[in-house]
Amino acid sequence: MRRTHRAGVLLLLPAVAVVLAILVLPVLQTLLLSVARNTTSVLQAFDFAGLANYERLFMTPRFRTAIANTLVFAGVTVPLELVFGIVLALLLNRNLPGRWLVRMAILLPWALPTALNALMWRWMFNTEFGLFNALLQGAGLIEQRINWIGGIPIAMASMMAVSVWKTSSFVALLLLAGLQAIPREVYEAAEVDGANAWSRFWTITLPLLRPAILVALLLRTMDALRAFELPFNLTDGGPLTSTETLSLYAYRVIFQYVNFNLGAAAMVVQFAIIMVVALLYIVTLRRDPYA
Amino acid sequence: MKRTVLLLLAVLLGAAAAQTNLTLSIGVRGFGPAAEVLIEQCEEDLGVTIEWQRVSDVPGESRALYVTNFSARNPVPDVLAVDVIWPGDFAARGWIAPLDEYFSEDELAAFLPGFAAAAQVDGSTYAIPLYIDGIHLFYRADLLEQYGFEPPRTWEELIDQARTIVDGEGDPDLVGFVSMWAKIEGLFMNYLAFLYGAGGSFFDADGELAFDGPEGVKALQTMVDMLYQERIVPESVLTFRPDDARILFQQGRAVFMMVQDFVLDPLTAADSPVRDSVAFTRVPVFEGAPADAPSTVSGGFLLAVNAHSRHPEEAADLIRCFTSYDAQVTATLVQGKVPVRPSVYDDPRVQSERPVVAELGANFNYALTRPSAQTGTAYPEISEIMQTEISAALLRQKTPEAALRDAATQVRFALP
Repeated sequence: MRRTHRAGVLLLLPAVAVVLAILVLPVLQTLLLSVARNTTSVLQAFDFAGLANYERLFMTPRFRTAIANTLVFAGVTVPLELVFGIVLALLLNRNLPGRWLVRMAILLPWALPTALNALMWRWMFNTEFGLFNALLQGAGLIEQRINWIGGIPIAMASMMAVSVWKTSSFVALLLLAGLQAIPREVYEAAEVDGANAWSRFWTITLPLLRPAILVALLLRTMDALRAFELPFNLTDGGPLTSTETLSLYAYRVIFQYVNFNLGAAAMVVQFAIIMVVALLYIVTLRRDPYA
Repeated sequence: MKRTVLLLLAVLLGAAAAQTNLTLSIGVRGFGPAAEVLIEQCEEDLGVTIEWQRVSDVPGESRALYVTNFSARNPVPDVLAVDVIWPGDFAARGWIAPLDEYFSEDELAAFLPGFAAAAQVDGSTYAIPLYIDGIHLFYRADLLEQYGFEPPRTWEELIDQARTIVDGEGDPDLVGFVSMWAKIEGLFMNYLAFLYGAGGSFFDADGELAFDGPEGVKALQTMVDMLYQERIVPESVLTFRPDDARILFQQGRAVFMMVQDFVLDPLTAADSPVRDSVAFTRVPVFEGAPADAPSTVSGGFLLAVNAHSRHPEEAADLIRCFTSYDAQVTATLVQGKVPVRPSVYDDPRVQSERPVVAELGANFNYALTRPSAQTGTAYPEISEIMQTEISAALLRQKTPEAALRDAATQVRFALP
């Protein structure tokens, strides 16, 4: 017994080493960089700066705007994605003819890489020769072309729409798995008791779907708080900084200003925000009403 | 027999080991076709092998690559193409090596002085000019002729002509003027062209910030007015990068366009609807400016040596080979690149095969570079501040005065 235990530890070591090297060390390096000045790698030199980088960050209006943008983006898109996700999942769960085709169509937005998606939408949003303005003008609905990604605050709304379009299908997939795990008998029993479709949804589907919903919310919120490819490729954070997210801000600070330390501090703040949100979800998830 | 083969093999191996291998990092599209020819020539001339590291032509992307490489003190690439705004920044960070010991004053004097100055930091030369790609004013010669206009020399004339033509044509799809006014480096270049044309400058002769003076306000106010008062510029221009403007112009939907010269190739291609009607001139100045006032802003690339290269001497030779008179003629003939040696414009081969290059080159006599050499490591941040504040004025979030005042405050803070 003891010997197998030791062998198990030995066998685990390579995996632990890999996790240390590619996960823990970079996080540590980022933390150290965020409290240093003029340091690009803590292995080369380390000049301790205390919390000066954080102080400078929170004094920068642009950083505060980036936090606000990130929170608004996540706060609006995630609930919308959940609503659309539930609707899509319910649709997919029905025994419709040609269901596989519908499933594939719904998967498509999620299967396309975000960067590609963003570029595709950039063209459709284009004011002068984009699809949307051509359709709306053709139908006589607008006189002036709409500047979809060139105005404040419409650019943020456009970006949110792309995000919802893309990730609702991801939420739908997760929820579909949850739906299929609900035993048919529960519904049959409810039907015998005379429950209509609406009350079946509220009293059976939603409560039993709760764990799947929370997992979907957790994954989507963390992802939305890290949004980078979408603003980078769709709006480049503009106009002004009205769609600049925390990730995009940190990227600019590091790669344009070559200030690794300020950028690291921004990423630590982002990390803290995401951790708080994740913990909130996990606590909620643990409080299972049926446990 | 066996021994001969072995001997031969040994000689070959020895030769291979003795041959230096240099890595050259340069854009695929920007200088690719010319690089292909020149690499072969220089390998032969210098007796080295050259590995071509094909990088992105989007300056921000290749710069991100260099930031990573040079922060890690990677000795590769030995030679790299640097955007005209990088030498000040890269030199101050110790990423590229001074080239004074390899190039004589006489050699450097052959290049367009305004452009070469972008690589002068504290009296040392850090990069050698490769090609220039600056802003010109493109226009629809057919429309101007139809309304009896000469190409505009001043902004006042341009606005007047654009108004007249757009009103006269009555086509809702036709706009007067397009450019790259998204929040990108090109927007800062645009503003500087207006600023220089108004007789202003970024720094004054004493090195003090000067762009927030009356000339700067006039420049920015004119841009705002072109959008909202004269309405010759569509509001969507605030999302335009150079190619967005080019597409609109190529579709015959714009009278004037102010972008870099790389658009000339697609605009004059066989399938271009405007191929016979596109013409270009230098960027206008404001009324009252002297006829030889600078009014345009140059971009382009230079070649620099990685400060951690293991073969700095050979790297410098490679640069000399790539920027020689003959090499610049070759690049011009192969790819239509505008050389930075004015003497090349008069070369009979260039005159007969690429006459347009001399015309483009003549406009650069009125070109200034951006304030990148003076601002060193702060340039990227300063440019971003300027882009943001200029955008704020163009989006009417601030008045031009307020935007420039705010920009000046932040730029002072960012300066080293």
